Amino acid sequence: MYEALREKEKVEPTTPRFMRTPRSLTIEITSRCNLRCRYCYFFNNPEVVYRDLPTDEWLTFFDELGSLGVMTLTLAGGEPFIREDLPVLLDGIVRNRMRFAFLSNGTLIDDEIAAFIAGTGRCEHVQVSVDGSSAQAHDSCRGEGSFEKALRGIRTLQRHQIGVTVRVTIHQHNVHDLENIAHFLLDDLGLPDFSTNSAGYMGTCCVNADEVLLNVDERKVAMATLLRLTEKYPGRISSSAGPLTDGRMWRRMEEARAQDKPAFHNGGRLTGCGCPSNKISVRADGAIVPCNMLAHMELGRINHDSLAEVWQNSPDLNQLRSRHNISLAEFEFCAGCSYIPYCTGNCPGLAYTLTGQVDHPSPDACMRRFLEDGGAII
Amino acid sequence: MKQTDRPIANPIVVLREEFDDWAVLFNADTAAAVGTNPVGVAVWKLMDGKRDIEGIVSEIKNSFEDTPDASGEEIAAFVGILAENGFVGMEQDSN
Repeated sequence: MYEALREKEKVEPTTPRFMRTPRSLTIEITSRCNLRCRYCYFFNNPEVVYRDLPTDEWLTFFDELGSLGVMTLTLAGGEPFIREDLPVLLDGIVRNRMRFAFLSNGTLIDDEIAAFIAGTGRCEHVQVSVDGSSAQAHDSCRGEGSFEKALRGIRTLQRHQIGVTVRVTIHQHNVHDLENIAHFLLDDLGLPDFSTNSAGYMGTCCVNADEVLLNVDERKVAMATLLRLTEKYPGRISSSAGPLTDGRMWRRMEEARAQDKPAFHNGGRLTGCGCPSNKISVRADGAIVPCNMLAHMELGRINHDSLAEVWQNSPDLNQLRSRHNISLAEFEFCAGCSYIPYCTGNCPGLAYTLTGQVDHPSPDACMRRFLEDGGAII
Repeated sequence: MKQTDRPIANPIVVLREEFDDWAVLFNADTAAAVGTNPVGVAVWKLMDGKRDIEGIVSEIKNSFEDTPDASGEEIAAFVGILAENGFVGMEQDSN
């Protein structure tokens, strides 16, 4: 039926094509956290106001989101489970016909809140950060005792049959523990899968970069290990950034370059970020921003500015959306690079913290620079 | 209470008209989503428990030009799929 009827209603796509309202939002419902992880992107950002909104402000905003047909909220922070009014906030989300997920350190999850979440029937998953197969690796950056508490949180969620996902952030202190981490999470804990990333040069990590960030040799180790583990555990280890993504992407790029293949469909321009087409973020103080990784870029304020208006007409957001038209060949940084036809420039958030410019390729994700610094394609 | 043949949209389902030519029906309870076109959107908005399928087809034919001959069957099938997936129920008659 759809095809038959669609023919007569066909409309040429607009450029740029983005949804009338965002499908999902990431909301930092608090700027408070019980941990002080050494690579946290959230804290120590001089351009962010660390202030929490009262319950009513969030509930009013959730009503607006419901009227816009938003489907899913990802509740982040800070640590979202630190909010004492969390059940009231979740009621507001459910009442407005949305689903929700959490990004959490897992340490504050108890039976009471887990039972409440399970009772809503609307929780997509709770993502808990686990950075080691033992307390030694995990606690090295997250603080003493956090490993045991995170595991207790995961087991509590499992007991209440709430979907749990785990994010492993790779850094200097766990890069040689990845085999054990995979075994621990997938075999011992019985999780269906987990995702990986690596500490990035943002927030608190900038202060501790020398002790946290992977160097070139460690990136090689991480890429090789993760690529091997994805063969051992097919479909159970994922990433959207970090060594596994780099390893896969750079391998494809090298093959394409060596065989002189045509440019990738999204290659040669700043296409690395598709977020502004379907989602947006809100900081704990109520500032609307394109993404948590671009927390400095205030587009408006909840309950003061219409989200639909911001979404459709914000000049900064539309500028970010048109970023994909910017050719990598325009940048001195990319001059003479043979990988340009296959490169997307990667994350604008990291580009901003490393170069001060959003409309710039991210040096962290530069394959040529990685190779020049002694890296190798696995 | 007797079930009628008048479909009524599940009030928990969210209609997102994302683009001029594309919309999504989203069931927040089950996370199920169905994509549809403007005709599907029009059908969805007509499922208010007051019209039967025939009435909906008639309204669609009045609203859209050059409606295919098979549109009645297609709309019935569309409503059937939505009903099977909990997006639509049938109005209850208290008489």
